[in-house]
Amino acid sequence: MFKKILIAYDGSPVSKRALEAAIDLAKKYEAYFEIISVIEELPKYAATVGEVKEIQLEAQKHYHEMQQQAIAQAAAAGVTLVDKVLPGHEVDTIVGYAEHHQFDLLVVGRHGHSAIRKKHPGSTSANIITHATCTVLVVA
Amino acid sequence: MNEQLLSVILWVLILLASVVSVEFGLSVAIIEISLGVIGGNFLGLQPTPWITFFAGFGGILLTFLAGAEVDTAVMKEKFKESFLIGLASFLAPFLGAMAYCYYVLGWTPEAAKVAGVALSTTSLAVVYAVLVETGLTETKIGKIIMASCFVTDMGTAIALSLLFIEFTWLTLVFLVFSTAVIAAAPRLAPKIFQRYGDRVIEPEIKFLFLILIIFMALAKLGASHAILPAFVFGLVLSKMFSANRLLQRRLRVVAFAFITPFFFINGGMNVSLKLLLANFGLLVQMLLVKQIPKLIGTYPFAKKYVPKDAMYTTLLMSTGLTMGTISSVFGLQAGYINQAQFSVLVATVVLSAIIPTVIAQRWFQPKMEFIETKEIDQAVTMVNGNKN
Repeated sequence: MFKKILIAYDGSPVSKRALEAAIDLAKKYEAYFEIISVIEELPKYAATVGEVKEIQLEAQKHYHEMQQQAIAQAAAAGVTLVDKVLPGHEVDTIVGYAEHHQFDLLVVGRHGHSAIRKKHPGSTSANIITHATCTVLVVA
Repeated sequence: MNEQLLSVILWVLILLASVVSVEFGLSVAIIEISLGVIGGNFLGLQPTPWITFFAGFGGILLTFLAGAEVDTAVMKEKFKESFLIGLASFLAPFLGAMAYCYYVLGWTPEAAKVAGVALSTTSLAVVYAVLVETGLTETKIGKIIMASCFVTDMGTAIALSLLFIEFTWLTLVFLVFSTAVIAAAPRLAPKIFQRYGDRVIEPEIKFLFLILIIFMALAKLGASHAILPAFVFGLVLSKMFSANRLLQRRLRVVAFAFITPFFFINGGMNVSLKLLLANFGLLVQMLLVKQIPKLIGTYPFAKKYVPKDAMYTTLLMSTGLTMGTISSVFGLQAGYINQAQFSVLVATVVLSAIIPTVIAQRWFQPKMEFIETKEIDQAVTMVNGNKN
């Protein structure tokens, strides 16, 4: 049923549960499986390009390390996981990426991305459901 | 207020700015300016000679970094389009603001020139963050916008350095020294960095600082401004800078931790909220004086070279922050503008970093660009190939 599965991942406990579900589905359907993390920490109205670049590099390193653990977890279950880190607004980026690359299933955690700055937990997953053009699985 | 207490309060503000910046995802510069305003208006902080000196050096260091961060390959690739858009983006608000301040507001010629330069700027850093977020840095439009920002920055640097020169033989010394350093730097600097670099005592950063301090000292003696040589010095070292990740990181750490906070906090400290509120109408006029000529000057060229995203390009070219603040601080310190004019100019510059960016992102943002479609399609075929 699902040939391309995308998991939105930020390393939070609920996104780890979403990862487990996504690994299970990817294995069952033998699907192409990709993990995406979004860098939201880029400073708005920066004074120097360097400020933006340094924060981007630090975040990239952080998410890359986090995704390597997810890749190892998937590999242990016999599933290949392709990693991707992109900067941008979380909902626009995840939904846009899924749409652009024609994923047929998007897996997200209910209280996932950027918990620190979110006033309303779950608003990200709610917005993803609203805007996504593919099937969305929200893991609680 | 004694020096020790002043230092403690300043460092509390500097630390607080960093914490707020991290927590709210805003640039540390904007927070530092805002805390400087609070310090100057509510905590009784006043610039002292040492703060003014560090602030001045911070401005020159920021200008050097702006030059060093120029991607010369992008500039060459999109030279014609970016030159025309960047030049129009500089000239239209420069001439428009200068004429408005002189003829309509009755400012002195020198004050009108400061306003023209401060409002002519574009912020590459503000623009860069927006382009990264939308995945546009590697696209045609992204490259044209970034290269155009470099051209506008150069226009600002040239105007600020040349408009206020009072030519003496010391000006000649300044020009000769600057030219010699800039000519020798691409060959000399790599040798110095190779011989003395990669040490915790940082001889290479001290070398760069020495050159910038000499620029500042000679510019003062020669009645000019060090912004142009600092920018070009950075520009000629940009290739080496971009290839040396360790140097980039160390220089940025030293700059952001210890030097540039003084520049932005000092800028904020000199803003009078009382005068700003009393001149609110002038602030609105200044915002329009920056934005309308930018629109009139930049839009036709943007329409020609990036027809699909002409308004987005124009709005991003209408941002400003660092160079505008540097120009305003220069005008205040040189006595060309008074505190009310300075307060209005800095507020205009800060608002111009925010308002056009918000409008561009809210109503004119191009669709996000995602690359590597082909790679993913190939991978999908490999995984699913046998089943289809």
